[in-house]
Order: sequence, then structure tokens, then C-alpha cells
Amino acid sequence: MVSFENVSKSYGTVRAVSDLSLDLYPGETVALLGPNGAGKSSTLDLLLGLRNADAGRVEVFGTTPQQAIEQGKVGAMLQSGGLMEDVKVRELVKLACDLHRNAYPLERVMEQAGITEIADRMVNKLSGGQEQRVRFAMATAGANELIVLDEPTTGMDVSARQAFWGVMRQQANEGRAVLFATHYLEEADAIADRVIVLHRGRVLADGSAAEIKAKAGARRIVFDLEGHIGEAALRELPFLASLEISGRTVRIQSHDADATVHALYGLGLYPRNLEVAGLGLEQAFIAITDAAAAEEAVSR
Amino acid sequence: MNTLIKLEITRTLRNKKFMFFSVIYPAALYLMIAGGASTTEKVEGTNLTLPLLMMVSMASFGAITAVLVGNSEKIAKEREKGWVRQLRLTSLPGRGYVTAKVASAAVVSLPSILVVFAVAAAVKDVRFDAAWQWFALTAVIWAGSIVFAALGVAVGYLATGDAVRPITFIIYFGLSMLGGLWMPTAVFPQWLQDIAEWVPTHAYAALGQAIEQGGAPHLKDVAIMVAYLALFGGAAAWLYRKDTHKA
Repeated sequence: MVSFENVSKSYGTVRAVSDLSLDLYPGETVALLGPNGAGKSSTLDLLLGLRNADAGRVEVFGTTPQQAIEQGKVGAMLQSGGLMEDVKVRELVKLACDLHRNAYPLERVMEQAGITEIADRMVNKLSGGQEQRVRFAMATAGANELIVLDEPTTGMDVSARQAFWGVMRQQANEGRAVLFATHYLEEADAIADRVIVLHRGRVLADGSAAEIKAKAGARRIVFDLEGHIGEAALRELPFLASLEISGRTVRIQSHDADATVHALYGLGLYPRNLEVAGLGLEQAFIAITDAAAAEEAVSR
Repeated sequence: MNTLIKLEITRTLRNKKFMFFSVIYPAALYLMIAGGASTTEKVEGTNLTLPLLMMVSMASFGAITAVLVGNSEKIAKEREKGWVRQLRLTSLPGRGYVTAKVASAAVVSLPSILVVFAVAAAVKDVRFDAAWQWFALTAVIWAGSIVFAALGVAVGYLATGDAVRPITFIIYFGLSMLGGLWMPTAVFPQWLQDIAEWVPTHAYAALGQAIEQGGAPHLKDVAIMVAYLALFGGAAAWLYRKDTHKA
């Protein structure tokens, strides 16, 4: 459906996207996750044909991004796309409907986006969250096969965010593919079937949220030790992903917490205040990007 | 695309300041320049009166105001704010935006032409031998404004932010003056007249002046207009494509 083949894009000396290859499939809900400057927006711009790649090939529905959009297969919502001024909300959304090859009825689009009450307001008098909902309405004006969203819930309050993802889930359930960039990790965790972690324009990890967590060390083990702490012995623990000692407290990330804890007792140690907890996607994410940064430092 | 054209026209009409500027301003300027002039005395080098000559000049000037100033600033601003990016994500083909801008500008330029005509006829008693001349003049000035609409699009894609206004106004006033829209080029020194002959605004005004004298537009002026349309249109299209790489 969407295919990136060894795609690179630089701005001057900055490499925003570096030899990126990835494929998206129909019906998937995919989160593009990464810190600022990871290349999320650039990747989406390339996918939408707003920029051209320096090298490599971007294919959308077997054709160029521009053509896929003209055919009405892709709907997109940008992070900061300006809106037309001196027009009413209704007029602008009607424009999006009229421009779409497979448009939905105007009233339905506005209702889904939750903008029916502000339909007669001027676009330039809206709040940030309202503007975002208008952009969402424009992105969902017709039956797209792929919906691309760049940090869609920025500026929305919690309830607006929930409503937004409700509509998005509905779209996904109708068999549509949804690709969204986000830095809200809970969103990626809660909504996406697949999470692609970007870092410095490369794919760092690609899998379900659970797999991403597993990759970083799925569980976290924290305990206190008394007496001398033999760091070397602790480093030899099985399934260890990371080890951190501060004062008396030891923090471990483990791929198999049960085995690690078992081995810990096997060392003859007596851990106090032992806690074993799952890693949030956020910590998993930090762990993955940290590891990548460390690797890069070594290879230099 | 029709919706976009309609919407562009609607919002232009809502922009009162802009409408005032483009519709009232040329007529007001006409009264300032031609208001005190004799309605029978011929301008040197022509067989037309100053009020009649200035009527065509100011109608042309007004049409240019509407399409050039309006387009360049709006396009530059909308590019900067990301609206053009947003529009690229719709099924609207790339040229649709440019077409809509030119079309909506042309709709605004029409009243500015008609207001100048009405004022000239009412206040300065401008008359023609035949009624067709009024219609032909309106058609020619209106059609010719497309050349400047294309120039406006090109400037809008060339300049950004603070630069667009001064650049537009230098082009706008430079072309208006040099083309003889504010004063007949007959009063220019010879060397300036030689340059003015090739300026698009001059050819534009000459189209109208030929009709004033009861003839058809000169082929040379039509050719110059077509050449400039190709040049400005080509530049606009090229800059639009280039914009994709950096938008």
C-alpha cells in the first residue's frame, strides 16, 4: 500500500531521513514514534508528496504520492497546516468535500469531527483545538483508504482527544489504514497495532507496542541491598537489559524478570523492598533511543 | 474546483479593505488626474481628450491593482501559513489553486473597470462614436489583466513574508508609470518612450487606446501581451513546482 525504498532526504547538511525503508499494509493502525527531529514530519511529507526525496523511491497505492492524493485515496491532517481565512467553517469543510472524489455528506463530516456547533464561525476566529478539529474534518471529508495524521491531538484537551481517537478507531474498523505521528506515547500504546520508532531518520524498532516494550526490556526490577554491592556479579545476571545502582538502590531492566530474580537469590543476596513492574512504552522508548545513541557513540 | 473559485471570490468580497482599494481607488485617482482636464482639448500626439485617455489608463491600472497586488500578497501569505500545503493534500490538481486565484482576481477586477467607466461617463462626459467600443474596451482590459494575474502568482511564489509587499509595489508602480497608465507616454522623453513601448503595461494600455480610436488592437501589442503571459505563466508554473522541494 505504502512503500518506502531506501529513501533519504536532507535539508542542507541535516539528514532528516536516512536510507529509510518501510511498508504499510491495508487496515493497519500505525504510530510513528520519535523525539523531535527524529524525522517523523519529514517522513510524512515525503509520503504525501509535499516534498520530494533526494534518493530512493516512495510509492503510495502503486503510484506517486501526488497521484494517490488526486485519486482521493489518501486523507491527511498536518500539524500546522494553515487554514483559509475570511471563510466560515462550513464553507471550508464543504470545499474539502467538493474536492474529494468519494466525499461523505457535509453534515456527517462535521458531526463526526464535532464541529457542527461552530459551523458558522469564521475560521480565523477559532481556538487551536477547534482549528485542529476543522483540519480533521478536512482530512476525513471522503472515503480514504489511508489517513495520515501528523501529531493530530496537539492542542486538544483530554475529552477532545478521546473523542478524536474514538472517531479514528471507527475509521480503522471500517478497514482504513491510519498512520499517525505522535510524541504522546500513551496514544501509540493505546491505539496503534504497530509502532515504528524513528530516530535520526532511521527505523529503530518496528513491531507491536508489546514487542517494542519487549525489545527494550519488558520488566523493571527495583530493590535495595545492604552491605557491599558486587556490581560485577550483578552484571552477570541472566536476561539483563540494563543495570543502574544509586546508593543502596539497584534498578534493573530485564527481558525475563522471573529468571533474573531467581538468579538474584541464587547469588546469595537478600534484596529488600523488591518491586517488579512492567515497563511503559515511554521507558521502552527511552531505552531504545538511548541504546541507539550509545551504539552510535561506540561506532564513532 | 468551482467551489474553490466561488469560495475565493466570496472571501475576496468579504475583504472590505481590499475591495475598497481595488474598486474605489482607481476611480478616485482618475478624478484627481483627469478631473480638472478639458473635455474637448486633445492630448498632444493623440487625437483623444485627456479624460478619455485617462479613463482607459485608470481602468487598466485598477484591473492591475486587483489582480497583481491581491494575488502576490495573498499567495505569499498563504504559502507561509501552510494553507497551500493543506490544499495540496486534496484532490485539487496543482494548477487548480493558481486557476482559482486568477479567476477570483478577474472577478474583482471587473467592477473596478466598470466603476472607472461609469465615473468617466458621468463626471467627465466621456462618449464614444459607437456602443461596441465600451464593450470591446471592457473585454480587452479584463482579458489583459490575466497577464498581470499570472505575474502576481509568480511574485507570490518568488517572495516571502516582509519582502513581498515592497517587491510587489516596486513592480506595480514601476510598470504602471513606465507603461503610461498615469500619464500618457507621449509626454516622456524619447529614450523613455523607446523603453516604454516594450513594457507589458504599455501594450496593455495600447490595446485599449486602439479601441478608443475606433480601430482594432495592434498585432504587436497583442503579441507582446501573449509573450508576457507565456513568460509570467511559465515563471509561475516553474516557481510553483520548485516550491514543492522546500514548501
